[in-house]
Parts: sequence; C-alpha cells; structure tokens
Amino acid sequence: MSTVSAFLVTGSPLPLLRPDNPPWAVLADGFKAASAALVASRPDVLLVYSTQWIAVLDELWQVRPHSVGVHVDENWYEFGDLKFDIESDVALAEACVAGCATIGMSAKPVDYEDFPIDTGTIVADALLNPGRVPLVIAANNVYHDFAKTEALAAMAGETAAAQGKRVAVVAVGGLSGAYFDHRIDIATDHVRHEADDTANKAFLDALQQGSEASRAAVGDYAGKTKADFGMKHLAWVLGATGGFSGAIVHGYSATYGAGAAVVEFKL
Amino acid sequence: MAEGKIVAGFIAPHPPHLVYAENPPQNEPRSQGGWEQLRWAYERARKSLDALKPDVLLVHSPHWQTLVGHHFLGVEKLSGKSVDPIFPNLFRYNFDLKVDVAMAEACCAEARAMGLEAQMMRNPGFRVDYGTITTLHMIRPQWDIPVVGISANNSPYYLTLDEGVDEMVKLGEATRRAIEASGKRAVLLCSNTFSHWHFHEEPALPEDMTKEHPQSYVGYKWDMRIIELLRRGEVDEVMRLFPQWVEEAFAEVKSGAFPWMLSAMGFPRVPAELHGYGTVIGTGNAVMEWNLEGAGA
Repeated sequence: MSTVSAFLVTGSPLPLLRPDNPPWAVLADGFKAASAALVASRPDVLLVYSTQWIAVLDELWQVRPHSVGVHVDENWYEFGDLKFDIESDVALAEACVAGCATIGMSAKPVDYEDFPIDTGTIVADALLNPGRVPLVIAANNVYHDFAKTEALAAMAGETAAAQGKRVAVVAVGGLSGAYFDHRIDIATDHVRHEADDTANKAFLDALQQGSEASRAAVGDYAGKTKADFGMKHLAWVLGATGGFSGAIVHGYSATYGAGAAVVEFKL
Repeated sequence: MAEGKIVAGFIAPHPPHLVYAENPPQNEPRSQGGWEQLRWAYERARKSLDALKPDVLLVHSPHWQTLVGHHFLGVEKLSGKSVDPIFPNLFRYNFDLKVDVAMAEACCAEARAMGLEAQMMRNPGFRVDYGTITTLHMIRPQWDIPVVGISANNSPYYLTLDEGVDEMVKLGEATRRAIEASGKRAVLLCSNTFSHWHFHEEPALPEDMTKEHPQSYVGYKWDMRIIELLRRGEVDEVMRLFPQWVEEAFAEVKSGAFPWMLSAMGFPRVPAELHGYGTVIGTGNAVMEWNLEGAGA
C-alpha cells in the first residue's frame, strides 16, 4: 500500500461557512489539525469518497481535469456559497474506472462542465487540502453495501500503488443522522439525542483502538444511530488503507443535531 | 378579488431520460428518442394544461431534499445549468424560470401558521434540482407560467411514515389556503415515480428500448393496482394502502408529493385521467390528471 495518511471527516458545510460558531468551531479547528497532518504526509493524490455524491446506476468517478465554480448547498444556502477549484488526477481516476471491471463492478467516468461537485467533497478539499493536491473522487452508489464499498476502495488503493503514488485517503461523511427538525439557535447546537451522543463517543473510541474494534462496532452503531449511509465512508478507509492501528479524534461536535467528527487514522 | 382555486393536479414524474429523449434546445446531450409512450402521455397532459390556463404551477420535488422543514423557492428569477449528478450523461439543462414569489411566500406563511417548519430560499445562486426542472419542462416546455418550487422535507424518512404523511397533509391544506386567498388559478404537480425498483447498470445506449421493462413484477402490479384505483376515484382506498404500497413497491411517493397534492385537492373522489404509463430504467411512471374544474369539484 502507498497510503501515507487517512482521514474521516464531516461533509457538512457548516464548519466551513460559519467557523465562528462555537459548536462548529470545534470541527473547523479539527480540520486545521487534520490538514496539517495531511500536508505533512506529502501525498500525490487524495482518494476521496463522499456520502453526498449519490449514484444509483454504475460506479461514477470524476475525471474532469479541473472543476471550478460556486456551489449553493440545498439545505444551508442561507450561510453562504461554496467556491471550489479542484484538480483531478485523471490518470488514476481513469485507471480506477477500468479497475472496477476487475472487481465485477460497472463504472463510468464523469467529465462534464458545471457538474455539481457535492458539498462534502468541496468542504473536505477546502479545509484539508491547502496545497491543491489533485483528487480522485468516487461516488457513493447507494446500492453498494459496506463490503462492496471496501472492495471498491481496496481496488482504488491498489491502483494508486501500481502508479507509484503516495495516497491520502479521505472519507467524507457524518456520524449519527438525526438532525433537528426545527430551527435552532446555532450557538446551542448539540447532538440531538443523548443516546446518539453516547454512541458516537463510543464509536470514536473504537476507531482509536484500530480496525478490528472499529469493524466490531460499526454495524450495531450504524443501526442504532441511523448513521450516515451506514458508515460506508469507514469502509472506504478500511479498504483503501488495508487497516489502521488507531486514530486521533481532532474534533467531535454536532452539525444541526447530527454527529460530526474530524478523525485522523494511524497507519 | 375572485377566490383562487386549484383547477387541476397532475402526477408528473421526473425521469431526466424524458427530457433527454425529446432533445429540447435547453438540454446539451442529444438522443435518438426513446420512452415515447411516456412522452406522448406528457403531450396529452400539455394540451390539457394549456386548456386550463393556470396562473401558477406548484411543484413538489423529491430531489430538493431539505433536512429542516419545508423550503420554497423565493427568488423571482432563477437561471443556470442544472447537471444531474446521477445522470450527467443525459441531463445538462439550461434553465430559466420565473418564480411566483408572492404565492410561495403565502404557502410558506400558511404552513407556518399550521405549525409546520417552513422557510423561503432567497439565495439567487441556487441551482434548481433536476426533478423540479424535468417535471416543469415535460408539462410546460414554454416556461411561460410562473412556478412555486417546494422541497421534500425528509420527515417521511426520519419520522414514522404516518407522521410524515400527516406533515404532508398539513402542507397540502396550507397550500390550498394560500391558493384560495391568492385569487389565482393553480395547477399542482406531484413530481413522483410510482414503483421505484430500478436497474443498477445503464445500457450502452440509454435509449435502447429493447432494454426497457419493469424491473420488478411486484412493483408493476402495484402500479397497475394504484392506477386502476385512481381511475375509479378511489383515493380513500389508495391512502389506506399507502404504507403497503410504499413498502412493497419502494414507491417514490414516500417523499411526500402525492399526499401533499391529494390533500391540497381535498382528496377528490373523482376519477383521475391516465394520460399514459411507461417504465424508465425499470421504474413505473404514470402521467395522471385530476381536472377539478372539469369535474365540478
């Protein structure tokens, strides 16, 4: 494996758009620490999987060399716009498209002007990647389960290794999934359900104990907390890294009631 | 001012394949056609809509998903290119639409008055979702009637289905009150597919109709059962079956547009007209109309 660093981060735009708000500042600060670690690992490419880029037919891979624009989030538009300027590692992305066939998965490249890069990818790139290292972005096919997502990530990691590239693995998604269903004073934002808060913290503890403990915990945790897409973004980390020995939680908080964290994995 | 009224409601599904197949100038990709039965169904619906001469079209789309309450487009002019993140090869549509902001604000205010969480979307850079655009294009490609765009609050997914439906029934009542107070003639658009079981791989040529058929026989049977009930005006039976329909057909109506529209129309016990039915990547799609004015409802 050529993986030099790995992260699991929230895809909510709130820490990016309003880092001054105390509950979201915790996450914004966590991103700063994670970003420093990512930069220090000197990756050639960021291997990104965001739960917010949904696919239903085939596995989609972004192969447009340069994506630039302004994105307005469909939920949090009142807090501001999201500018993005993203470079892709086209050679690796195209190799991943081809590599999907080797794991029995149908895949397609995506190369369209004005394609709506998802909020999670934009947030991760903005807060983790000051050096504008190229990205390879894979979609979240909603019909791929945890195991299939892990196989997908493993293929991507092996493909990057075959190209001799140093890889930072970036999994973008949330923790517990219960948002507040009414307007709140954002300064008071917190995980909506106490039980979810407890479960989130226990799950983060499991991540810190390494792959084995994480695997043992994830199914029950995801079921109890309606976690973001069953924590398939953790499958991305597990598959692409081949496993981790522990983790550092750089930040844990809420994004309008849902659980969110910034985690760096020890490889 | 004369009292406003809902003159009709349409089930107007939004597979972007239909726009792609039609090759309108606004859409970049070119096709060789396909999905003709559904496009002919929309041709019939377009004629009917034209005769109704509505002042405003209200559309509820499952592809503008909001976490906190029901949102309404609140910018008078919205334009840009909508690229479908799921089917970017088929749908890259340059849209330019006019919003009836006053009507949207009235709907939002009535929703709040009924205790629902609701808010106006005021960001002029907002990219309108492909569900809203596809439904509006297919029903009125001239884009000459102002619209009200309504988001799909995720409540039917986070709450129990009954609680989610209850929310949408209230939103429908709020919509009706706002329309009645407006003095306008309104048409409602339920942007929903019925059976939502679909294929997981796309044919090399998307419009190759030899590959198109219902993905699920169970889903197909549900489609026919519901269409037949609606054609007989048996909306009470449809709503009784709603939870089972959603569960067994994986029906997209779970997202709320269907109970919203029926509620706004007062759950009309008049026969709906089927303009046509067809599948798109295996999903079941019906274009149906309740002409309330014609029925004297």
